Amino acid sequence: MAKQYDVLFRLLLLGDSGVGKTCMLRRFTEGEFDPSHISTIGVDFKMKTIEIGGLKVRIQIWDTAGQERYQTITKQYYRRAQGIIFVYDITNLPSFQHIAKWASDVDEFAPDDVQTILVGNKADEEFGRQVTKDQGKKLAETYGMEFFETSASTSSNISESFIRMTELVLQAQMRDVDDLLGSLDNYLDRAALQEEKGSQDNDAQRTCAC
Amino acid sequence: MFVFFTRRGRWVRSDGQLDGDWETKRKRKIADITQALSVDPVDVATLRRMAISEGGLLTDEIRCQVWPWLLNIPPHLLDQEPGTDYNQVLLDVQRSLRRFPPGMPDEQREGLQEELIDIILRVLQRNPQLHYYQGYHDIVVTFLLVVGERLATVLVEKLSTHHLRDFMDPTMDNTKHILNYLMPIIERVNPEVQDFMQQAEVGTVFALSWLITWFGHVLSDFRHVVRLYDFFLACHPLMPIYFAAVIVLHREGEVLDCECDMAMVHHLLSQIPQDLPYETLISRAGDLFVQFPPSELAREAAAHESMATSTFKDFELASTQQRPDTVLRRRRRQKQGSPESSTANPVMTVAQPSTARRFVRLAVMGLTVALGAAALAVVNTALEWAPKLDLFP
Repeated sequence: MAKQYDVLFRLLLLGDSGVGKTCMLRRFTEGEFDPSHISTIGVDFKMKTIEIGGLKVRIQIWDTAGQERYQTITKQYYRRAQGIIFVYDITNLPSFQHIAKWASDVDEFAPDDVQTILVGNKADEEFGRQVTKDQGKKLAETYGMEFFETSASTSSNISESFIRMTELVLQAQMRDVDDLLGSLDNYLDRAALQEEKGSQDNDAQRTCAC
Repeated sequence: MFVFFTRRGRWVRSDGQLDGDWETKRKRKIADITQALSVDPVDVATLRRMAISEGGLLTDEIRCQVWPWLLNIPPHLLDQEPGTDYNQVLLDVQRSLRRFPPGMPDEQREGLQEELIDIILRVLQRNPQLHYYQGYHDIVVTFLLVVGERLATVLVEKLSTHHLRDFMDPTMDNTKHILNYLMPIIERVNPEVQDFMQQAEVGTVFALSWLITWFGHVLSDFRHVVRLYDFFLACHPLMPIYFAAVIVLHREGEVLDCECDMAMVHHLLSQIPQDLPYETLISRAGDLFVQFPPSELAREAAAHESMATSTFKDFELASTQQRPDTVLRRRRRQKQGSPESSTANPVMTVAQPSTARRFVRLAVMGLTVALGAAALAVVNTALEWAPKLDLFP
């Protein structure tokens, strides 16, 4: 079966219950928005294939239950993620304050080279805003993340943030492959030298034995 | 002097100047309150005096701690963090529209949603040992729609302290433990399916929402939901896990045809078909329960490692087998088997470093492509063992 894509990346959405993780995901993958959509129990994912620099990238985006007690189950999936999108709700200050907790869990359970971005969702609900854009930006800076304010309702910045996340993962993977090939070259040079030396020794021994 | 208290917790005089005297008094008062709270039993008389005396209880953080004592609320009622649960209940009930009959007038539905919140909170308040979980509302709404608010409250309370008790612990450890019964049941009936699922490392999380909502969360036809509730109410609390196993076994063909990949199998299984032959599956689940009772599976379920541990081991094993040196050694062995093997002359290999290099590079590239560039973890391990690479023996 021919693959419909060149690479596959696994992304993960994390954040408090009700910040709009599932809504963002449905907006991005299906173009739909329904705020009364059911709560996520456990984990599930949706897929989408996008093109970045001529490369067909399939992204598998895992959606998680936000209630804290589910973390013991969702943590098992951190390890598989290459990119993590932290989501808070700009109209819900505690969801913003909890980002620190989510980030420290990711530190503990996700791979070291995992790429992360911070997203403040529900940006269309300006009247209920409890977290300023500046606060979001500052927090993102502290963690060295890129920052987006999105709205699954109006679709603002939704694909931008998912695509940017994917680009970051792609760049990180490219860097790793380059590093690997570089060190392989070094290694092979060294190995070839040693081998040359070794075979000379062998020749010397053979001469003695005769 | 008129003194008031700002939200930041600083005493200020009406003229905006900080009063040094007040700062000292305030610190002293905080120390007194902390002391009164820390003794056992809590010194409620002192707390009362502090609340009455000038400035009252100073900050909202202190009020959170002291007010319950002034109202004589026993501490164990405070441990349940009613605030957290309340918000979560609200969030989930607001998102439960799909659980109400289509075509129900909004007003009627909203009334039922209010009742739903009331029932849940009532049960939680009366049983502080119970903890709300997302999905509990899916169970309660089923009872509400069938028997109405009054009876639903009684039934749900009983159910919560019995059948659902394990799901309502402070943590999900017991829920995970019950999920561990799933694979042993599948294994008894169809080892091939069990083996396939094990290889795919799919785990059992796909069945989590089935178990803790008694399928209320995943079945769209309400008649099917209540049919299952009939069954589960009449049976052992572990019956839902037998039913989950029966669904997987019913779909064995689809499962075995699926790509042996964690995500793919998880996805396939979590999308429950809506046209299941419920009566057949119910009687099959009953049969399996008699054939392989929980007592027989208990040891296996307990021994079942958490997914995190077992998949991590599998993953490590997979990366060992896929390490380029293993691949290269295998190829070299094949090569040695042929009579015109170039390894007969060790100088040959050195004479062709560029060939060897291309070979290794290809092997590594091949790996990243085969496993998807995603499997960079493997490649990273490759970096660690690279110095030990034994290419030219």
